Amino acid sequence: MFSSRNGFWPALPALVLLFAFFLFPVVRMLGFSVEGGTFDWYAKALGQGLYIRVLWNTFEIALLVTLFCLLLGYPLGFLMATTTPGWATLGFIFVLLPLWTSVLVRTYAWMVLLGRNGVFNRLLVEYGITSDPIPMLHNFTGVLIGMVHVLLPYMVLPIYGAVRKVDPAIPAAAAGLGASSWRIFWRIWLPLTLNGVFAGCVLVFILSLGFYITPALLGGGRVIMIAVLIEQQVREALNWPFAAALSAVLLVATFLVYTIAQRFSQPEPAR
Amino acid sequence: MSESKGSAELLIEGVGKRFGDVVALDRVSLRVAKGELLTILGPSGSGKTTLLKVVAGFETPDGGSVKVGGAEITSLPPAKRDIGMVFQNYALFPHLTVKANVAFPLEMRNVGRAEIEKRVSEALAMVELAGYEARLPRQLSGGQQQRVALARAIVFNPRLLLLDEPFGALDRKLRETMQLEVRRLQRRLGLTTIFITHDQEEALVLSDRIAVMNKGAIQQVATTTEIYEHPANDFVADFVGESNIFHGTVSAPGTVALDGGGSVKVTSDKPVGTKVGVLMRPERFGATGANLFAGEVIESVYLGTSFKLRLALEGSRELLVRQPARGTLPAAGSRATVGIEPDAIHVF
Amino acid sequence: MDIKRRHVVSLMGGAAAVGVAGRAVAQAEPPKPAQIVVNHSGGSMGTAMRKAFFNGFEKKYGIRVVETSPVDFGKLRAMVDSGNVEWDLTEIGGQDAIRAGKANLLEKIDTKVVDRSKYPPTAQNPNVFASSVYTTIIGYRTDVFKGGNHPKSWADWWDVKKFPGARSMRNHPTDNLEFALLADGVPKDKLYPIDFDRAFKKLDQIKPHVNVWWSTGQQPAQLLLDKEVVLATGWNGRFYDIIKKGAPVEIEWGEGALKQGSFAIPRGAKNPYWANKMLAELAIPQQQAVYASELGYPGLNLESLNFVDAKVKPYLPTAYLDKQFWISDEWYAENGTKAAELWNAWMLKKS
Repeated sequence: MFSSRNGFWPALPALVLLFAFFLFPVVRMLGFSVEGGTFDWYAKALGQGLYIRVLWNTFEIALLVTLFCLLLGYPLGFLMATTTPGWATLGFIFVLLPLWTSVLVRTYAWMVLLGRNGVFNRLLVEYGITSDPIPMLHNFTGVLIGMVHVLLPYMVLPIYGAVRKVDPAIPAAAAGLGASSWRIFWRIWLPLTLNGVFAGCVLVFILSLGFYITPALLGGGRVIMIAVLIEQQVREALNWPFAAALSAVLLVATFLVYTIAQRFSQPEPAR
Repeated sequence: MSESKGSAELLIEGVGKRFGDVVALDRVSLRVAKGELLTILGPSGSGKTTLLKVVAGFETPDGGSVKVGGAEITSLPPAKRDIGMVFQNYALFPHLTVKANVAFPLEMRNVGRAEIEKRVSEALAMVELAGYEARLPRQLSGGQQQRVALARAIVFNPRLLLLDEPFGALDRKLRETMQLEVRRLQRRLGLTTIFITHDQEEALVLSDRIAVMNKGAIQQVATTTEIYEHPANDFVADFVGESNIFHGTVSAPGTVALDGGGSVKVTSDKPVGTKVGVLMRPERFGATGANLFAGEVIESVYLGTSFKLRLALEGSRELLVRQPARGTLPAAGSRATVGIEPDAIHVF
Repeated sequence: MDIKRRHVVSLMGGAAAVGVAGRAVAQAEPPKPAQIVVNHSGGSMGTAMRKAFFNGFEKKYGIRVVETSPVDFGKLRAMVDSGNVEWDLTEIGGQDAIRAGKANLLEKIDTKVVDRSKYPPTAQNPNVFASSVYTTIIGYRTDVFKGGNHPKSWADWWDVKKFPGARSMRNHPTDNLEFALLADGVPKDKLYPIDFDRAFKKLDQIKPHVNVWWSTGQQPAQLLLDKEVVLATGWNGRFYDIIKKGAPVEIEWGEGALKQGSFAIPRGAKNPYWANKMLAELAIPQQQAVYASELGYPGLNLESLNFVDAKVKPYLPTAYLDKQFWISDEWYAENGTKAAELWNAWMLKKS
């Protein structure tokens, strides 16, 4: 009781901000989507194969990006949290670099590296690893690479934080009690850093859903994400009610995924 | 991994370890007999924790060897050493229940389900935590966490038990209870145990023998009474217990001329001319004796069972004295005379 | 023509009414503001506009020109609706200009201030000032297609046997629907209204040969430079830029899709008079020539061609107007949404 009363007032500015900049716009948006008291725009969003398919594609891509970010980000975050400060700083610079780079520069850099005549393909062909360039750009692979690259920090940082929070005596104790490195990872590190993993996954997944420049440039136009369609409705078609309905569908779907994921992220303690 | 063969002798020979320019261990040798509880006592930075880490396998020594039961383990990883360890902050697995914590080392050794059940119950009963199986560490008090850590460290019949300042976080009363409990358990199981502490009182209560460490080297290894009554040098004398230490030269057989003036009669047979240290424990003073010291009382404290006095002697020396609390407490500023017998004085 | 004339007449009526008021004001020019705000798409275009127009304007009137970007129709609508109009003048896309005019989001252009007498009749919209011409044409690698043996029409573009190699086209229905119909034999003046079925059927044929569907103007030039593709559709100015810098790339103007860059004054703009003065600056042929030499986008004041360097002239779309066709902004204003939806669905279709 006491703590909740104490807790409310300091949080007030944050709550006001949250209301003004988050809740209010969302409510406005939902209002737009049912303008004129009809659910026609929802019917169009859900009834037309195009939008459902793009929504599905978007989730599929977001899921894959999250998975790859996790596979790369966990070892990276773990190493950075356990190595010397010097190496950790270097790691931070490399991980954060894409965040400080404009999306266009970043994307063109990937084009230089991944293109048909790009650095990677030239090396592959020159050393006879492949006879023809491997298409790594202007397709699904390119989109994955580009998105994983820029979203990696959002995975690495929470995992880094979670690893840092673990008392180093705990894994040492496990080793002393006879656990191999593999078992220390599965039985100790992973469960103790699951919060960070979950936070990273949610961040990356949700940020992925909103991507459209990177997929447009690195996907060669073949990879369409829902944000592209929403943007078209806002800026080109000027059909804001429909854009709002699409956004609302995306929002609800995202909430669903989040809720399901949260169920899995907090396992009951082993008995 | 095979089942542990049980308690064994530990032999440390010439173990050295440097961190950059800092010598953490200076060719340390130590033997701990099977079933013995040896305390490594020293101030922080003395190298005691490094030594423990070398034994547990968390540090690799630059040289020397560590043997358990005659087998060399110097370069074995911690997981293969079969050593139970209780960490300073217990290092319980916060996401596992009490039962899962204690079962952990058995699971790592692929012990069967039924056997695990049985041994975990036994271990928890031994530390008087039966009924707490389903709790998480954060739902336990400090003392209870300590017991879980202990149960976890002994459940797999380790060859050695290492205790790294395990009582530091407990309040005084609980600490005393736990000290006695650990001692009882260790005796009952006959576990070869190394106990690390910076608290000399704790060391005296628990140990069979004490190894006093300073600056990466062992100063003295001896039984508790030996360490207290016959310290090998100034450091040990000063670190263990309250002490009055003077320096001087043997001026005649049985007499030491003190550096600040005056002399004391002792029972030592050190030859004349030897530079020596003279240790007089505060509680060995009485009202009279073969050696008398007179001075002004500059501090006097009533401690319940005893008076603690600080006397200012001539030559700006001080003497710490404890006397049974009888009669009136001498007032600060008054003069007092105390005495000590030659056989109560340790010369080194 | 008939309709056009009636349009002009009604416009004249309107202009006359405005003119009376305008003359009354013209006696005393409205006070000079400290600055006016011009919104455009930024980048190299902004740099060229400053060089060709803004610097001169500032010197002439002592009014600072504040530039903002990007061009955003949604924002324009929101500004006018809320009555808080930040821009005095904004660039606007062709079909958006038509829609904005219909939605009454724009001020009329004051023809007393802005002289459009040298402009073609297609560029006399009462609300919209045609600032420049650009065209979507074929760019090709000169090291792959030598001696004039390159695709010269959309039928050629579709002929992957005769002209093999990876292609890039814009990820948008505009241009591509027209190109498909032209390739399929529809004459230039019969493109509208567009036959979606026929266009997409033809597009099906080229789809496997298009490596990259581009979405930013810089992409096709870059793709040709990197030899990621050997043929790309693109905006002439972007190709002109890399050709100027010596890239082994050339332009084929045949059947290019012409569009006009436009500027308009948002309704409720704070300084409409000075916005018109700025448009007058944009209409000066000498200044348009400066702009065209920078970017390859000539103005629609056809006199401006007389002021450009002979070396630049071959790279200006106004030199090849009869080889090309005009994209119908009117048609897209009506059917753009439908076209975009069909395009997205077609893009998602496997193969």
